Amino acid sequence: MIPIENFLVLSALLFAIGFYGVLARRSAILILMSVEIMLAGVAINFIAFASYLDHDAFSGLVFALFVITVAAAEVGLALGVVLRLFRERRTANVDEANSLKW
Amino acid sequence: MGMEQAWVLPAIPAVLFVVIALFNGLMPRRGDFLAILGMATVVGLVFVILVEFQGAFQGGLFTPEGANAYAFDWINIGQGFFVIEFSTYVDAITMVMLPVVTIVALMVMVYSVGYMHGEVRYGWYFAVLSLFVAAMLTLVVSGNLIQLYLAWEGVGLASYLLIGFYWERQSAAEAAKKAFITTRIGDVGLLIGIILLWRATGTFDIQEIISAATSGQIGDRYLTIAMLFLFGGAVGKSAQFPLHVWLPDAMEGPTPVSALIHAATMVVAGVYLVARFSPVYAEVLVARDVVLYTGLITAMMAASMGLVTTDIKRVLAYSTVSQLGFMFVALGVGAVGAAMFHLFTHAFFKALLFLGSGSVIHATHQQEVGALGGLRKKLPITTATFIIGSLALSGIPIFAGFFSKDEILHYVQADGGPVVYVLLAGTALLTAIYTTRLVLLTFFGEPKDHHAYDHAHESGPAMALPLIFLAVLATVAGFFVFDQVGEALGFAGGIGALVYIDHPHHFTQVDYAFAGIATLTALAGIGIGMAYWRGDARRAVQARAWAPDLHALLANRYYMDDLYQGIINRVILGAATVVAWFDKRIVNETGVDGGAQTISYLGYRLKFLQTGRIPNYALGMAVGVVALAIVAVGTRG
Amino acid sequence: MGAGYGPPDLTRTIEDLRVFDRLPLPSQLDRTIMAGGTIAGLVAAPVLIVLLGLQITGTISAVEMVFYMAAGVVLGGALGAVLIKNIVHASLSLIATLLGVAALYLLLLTEFIALVQVLVYGGGVIILLLFALMMTNAQDDPIVQDGSQKPFAFGVAVLIGGVFVTALLDAQWGDPTAAVIPFVDFGARIFRDFSVPVIIVAVLLDIALTGAFVNARRAEAHDEEGRS
Repeated sequence: MIPIENFLVLSALLFAIGFYGVLARRSAILILMSVEIMLAGVAINFIAFASYLDHDAFSGLVFALFVITVAAAEVGLALGVVLRLFRERRTANVDEANSLKW
Repeated sequence: MGMEQAWVLPAIPAVLFVVIALFNGLMPRRGDFLAILGMATVVGLVFVILVEFQGAFQGGLFTPEGANAYAFDWINIGQGFFVIEFSTYVDAITMVMLPVVTIVALMVMVYSVGYMHGEVRYGWYFAVLSLFVAAMLTLVVSGNLIQLYLAWEGVGLASYLLIGFYWERQSAAEAAKKAFITTRIGDVGLLIGIILLWRATGTFDIQEIISAATSGQIGDRYLTIAMLFLFGGAVGKSAQFPLHVWLPDAMEGPTPVSALIHAATMVVAGVYLVARFSPVYAEVLVARDVVLYTGLITAMMAASMGLVTTDIKRVLAYSTVSQLGFMFVALGVGAVGAAMFHLFTHAFFKALLFLGSGSVIHATHQQEVGALGGLRKKLPITTATFIIGSLALSGIPIFAGFFSKDEILHYVQADGGPVVYVLLAGTALLTAIYTTRLVLLTFFGEPKDHHAYDHAHESGPAMALPLIFLAVLATVAGFFVFDQVGEALGFAGGIGALVYIDHPHHFTQVDYAFAGIATLTALAGIGIGMAYWRGDARRAVQARAWAPDLHALLANRYYMDDLYQGIINRVILGAATVVAWFDKRIVNETGVDGGAQTISYLGYRLKFLQTGRIPNYALGMAVGVVALAIVAVGTRG
Repeated sequence: MGAGYGPPDLTRTIEDLRVFDRLPLPSQLDRTIMAGGTIAGLVAAPVLIVLLGLQITGTISAVEMVFYMAAGVVLGGALGAVLIKNIVHASLSLIATLLGVAALYLLLLTEFIALVQVLVYGGGVIILLLFALMMTNAQDDPIVQDGSQKPFAFGVAVLIGGVFVTALLDAQWGDPTAAVIPFVDFGARIFRDFSVPVIIVAVLLDIALTGAFVNARRAEAHDEEGRS
């Protein structure tokens, strides 16, 4: 039997890696991918708890399911925005979309 | 309609104020008839109330109790912790005030139709008169102190507006300001007194406060201080020493206003207040002595200043201050009935004198006695009525002033000690002297300003009728003192029993010796006045040359105005300079502007934090999230 | 691919679409997959051998071996996704992560979620991402430099990872027992007890779809205006 800590540490590391990606990347698409990694980490956490501690209530499972669903919606919408940005500015780099400043 | 509905009395003129103030331009005659009709209605209602009061009086119900009518809760904070009711209270003191206020107001309004004819703000004048009457009636019928204070400020406001009626004139604007600020000094005292009484008793209701104070629920020293503060309000409003300086300047207002507000009604509000609280003052004799000596000093000072003043209205103003001093002396020896009686008679004959002087001013456009003289041939009605008023003021028998002044002197002799009595009798002598001087210089002798004299003529019935009516009242008002008169009118015991007095005093027989001394005093005063100011007033000029310093002292009003001006210049303006510097440099430039500039500079610098780059914002958010996570984990316990 | 290989009309149809002319998919994907697979294989083979050895000697169970393999794939893929400069390579690395996550779900005895993960991510999200990559600057310039705040990002990520690991390991999780969650139960309960959230999520998806559509349509309108 695998201890629950293994999954928890894995999910935390996955979350941190995604976090780094969100902050360090310039391309909007890569940032979106990093967000997906973070969401995967969170979903693993949910399911680990659901499976190990809460197998009667299903809350974690349902949450994970919704995380996946919302992630899909988010990617669909965000990619539309990225494409729009690319058409307007010929770039998908977020730090070049900086007109909202002093 | 009865005593329980006394709130109707102030309500009528209050409504008229709004109507006339807003719509006088649309109405014929600018709405003056509306004000007069309203006032006549109020007079009628007062007599209705009077009849009911008389009935209750005969039933033995209202000595000294009154009708306390609760109207509604005005303010109620904390479920009964702080309640201000809107209530009216009608008793004998109120019943003396009501006819005085309403009758004089009606006379003044009728008179104003002639006197103010053709003024630019004619409608506004009547509106403010209505406002004044509303506030004054609220004051005399109010059953609690907050309501009274509101009305107290209301009459002050009306007085301010009417003194400054000719605000185009610098002196009028200054006088209005002076009156308002000076009375305000007293009003602060009144407010402090009200708060002190509320703190001790938890109520604003006047009768509850009185019963609490007389049953010894409040400590003596505390009560003394509270009553002194309360008297401070009366000092300001009734122009007593040392706050008397505003009343002579208040003569800048139209003369009918002086008659109504600054002779008959508003200035007696202080007397009314002290009379209302007379049972409490009877408990704290130190405070009552302060009332006595304040009144005495004021009466003497004002009478002496009246001797040298050359402005006809200012003489009357000093006379008013002096007579108010008489009333406070009476209150100071506990003779509430005498004080209210003098208030009653004084209102009529002083209003008469003011209206008479207004008639003179209207006819000649002069108010310096140096420019008048010999007007008896041109203004017969004015002269006759003015002389009646003067006799009443001087204290000649059968005229009203004699009885009330005699009453006061009687009580002072009985309860005030010989020194006070002699000083007050001397003041009565001075009163007769300056009154005679005024009459002689105005109506007798040779005319000094022939241009003014030639154009003088008696004015129309609107002005003559109130003069005659008031002259009649000034003659007969004193008869109320007699037991038989009171009996005949349905008030057993005369006015002495009508108004609450500590030890009832019945005028079943006249003390002829005492009355004789008083009459002789008055006659002596008239004689001295005749001797000095008859004809070309040669002796008066000699007397002035004999004691120039004394004349200068009196003519400069004991230098009290200069003293106050000096205090204002040195102390207050000095302090104001420091405060202004502090405000300008520290508060404004350092605090406000400095703060704004700091913010502006910081904004100029910190705006570069807004890079517009999303990763930067994301990093900031991430740092916050990490910080929160660390805190959450660290404090998890 | 010769002309006689496969149905010729289908090939022509795909070529007729012309959209694939813009996409460098075949050649680049081929090279990427081969190179990436080789590198991954070279890295993974020794690890696999070690794990197999441990399993055979009885040090770890078979389940644990699978877990460590999946965890390696997940973490390696994630690191590749955030570190590789070439965005095409990075996105392919992400695929490995997502599939590894599906394997972890299976290990956690929730085969339904694993299925959904494969379908939604592998079948939908990744395709969307690749399309977006190709339609932006992937062809002209697939190398994207990282942002200037990389050191800060590293610090913050290490901090939050450390905090989470500390917090999770610090806590006592009682006596956890894994249990298989039956498929049927799950379906029954999600539509009974969680029906309202399901409806809300459905509405959310609907809105997202509409939003994406509106966004794209406006962009076209704008382009037409720009041309005219």
